[in-house]
Amino acid sequence: MLEARIVKRRRDFTVDVSVRIEDGGCLALFGASGAGKSTILSSIAGIEQPDEGVVRLGDLQLYPPPLPLHRRPVGYLTQEPHLFPHLTVERNIVFGLGSRRTAAEAGWLKHLRESMGLASVWQAPAAQISGGQARRVALARMLARRPRLVLLDEPFGGLDRQLVRELIDALLAWRREIEFILMVIDHQAEILERLCPHAAVIAQGRIIQQGCWEQIRRAPANAAIGELLRPL
Amino acid sequence: MAARWMERGGIVAFAVALLYPLSALLAPVGPWRWDQDVAPQTMASIRVSLGLTAIAMMVVLLVGTPVAIYIARASFRERLLWQGALLLSILLPPLALGILLSIAFGPSGAAGGWLEHFGMRVSNNPPAFVATQVYVSIGYYVLGAIAAFQAVPAMLEKHAALLGQPPWAVFWRVTFPLSRLGLAAALSVAWVRALGEFGAVVITAYYPSGMPVQLWINLQSFGLPAVMPLLVVFLAAALPLPWIIHLLAQRRPHA
Repeated sequence: MLEARIVKRRRDFTVDVSVRIEDGGCLALFGASGAGKSTILSSIAGIEQPDEGVVRLGDLQLYPPPLPLHRRPVGYLTQEPHLFPHLTVERNIVFGLGSRRTAAEAGWLKHLRESMGLASVWQAPAAQISGGQARRVALARMLARRPRLVLLDEPFGGLDRQLVRELIDALLAWRREIEFILMVIDHQAEILERLCPHAAVIAQGRIIQQGCWEQIRRAPANAAIGELLRPL
Repeated sequence: MAARWMERGGIVAFAVALLYPLSALLAPVGPWRWDQDVAPQTMASIRVSLGLTAIAMMVVLLVGTPVAIYIARASFRERLLWQGALLLSILLPPLALGILLSIAFGPSGAAGGWLEHFGMRVSNNPPAFVATQVYVSIGYYVLGAIAAFQAVPAMLEKHAALLGQPPWAVFWRVTFPLSRLGLAAALSVAWVRALGEFGAVVITAYYPSGMPVQLWINLQSFGLPAVMPLLVVFLAAALPLPWIIHLLAQRRPHA
């Protein structure tokens, strides 16, 4: 189970949210740009430190005190794939695994390579693959370590619908296998809906509404949220 | 195509102008001297210079690298402060630095008095030579290394850490491979700076004489005919290491 309270003072408002997600559970954070969603995710990941709060993953205390990043069983994916440009696709994906691979890991990697359609670029330098392939590699690299908690900060931004669909399908399939806790941010509700049945609506750093998508659509917390949910 | 040749012509003209002073090696200064009065001391000075400069560079690497990592990741204001301190260390004319070093590490200086207490003398001996070279070159290395480390996106390092890599592994597997070109340039500048150092070393470590001091001795004792052969040997000895460092740094990663 993930239990987190994040307090982080920003120039215009203070982010202050509490979330609690059961094992295998999922929560979508929805809201306008600049509402504080990314701050929440990166504070849970440990990329930045909250001013106050607590983050607990099962019996593992992530904060406070801040647990060093390398001890966190957390996968974190953003719009920028952040691949290691000096390594091949394969070396990027196995980056978080030990130097001696177990038979289980080898089978697991093969499965990742096939299901993500990465066989053709497996030995290519990461700096030379296309943007869409780079996103797949970033996803595979994160999954290869079998994280207990996956945090997705708009990882599908700027991709065509076909690729978004593929990545979402892959993510859902892998989630059935690894059963990680998932927290995901996007400003496109339809993407979030595919991934999580439940959402928390964030405005000015607070959760102003929580529930299943149908409820939120039927009675959005305010007009601005209603506007965000309106189809183009 | 024509533009390409114009560019090449430009770079050739630049190189000719840059290396033009070397043509003075062919000046009619009389027969070069490489006899019993000149050769043994000259060869000894080369051993001194290469050996002790290599030790100085190890100190520069071991001390300078963590310092550069720290400064590169510090806040803007703090970084500016440390960069100022580094500039101060390389801004002093070498002769002035030599004078200050010999006072500060002499019997009347705080550090010098303390060292004397333990029976250590820091002048005209190998430790003085190495210490002086470290002082004159470490600022160049650290300033270059800071720039090299700053060019590595901090987010890449954070992602590497989130993939389970402890700090030393993040450095070896991400930071170092992505900054090694800049580090190689910084180290070769420090190497060249230390090896050619004269002004400070002539004050703090006239003995054991390195190549630059020996050059001065040869000029004083025997004139130009004893200087020219030492210059040739100096260039041949000083060039390979920084060149090899550049070569290694530019090798394609075996990823």
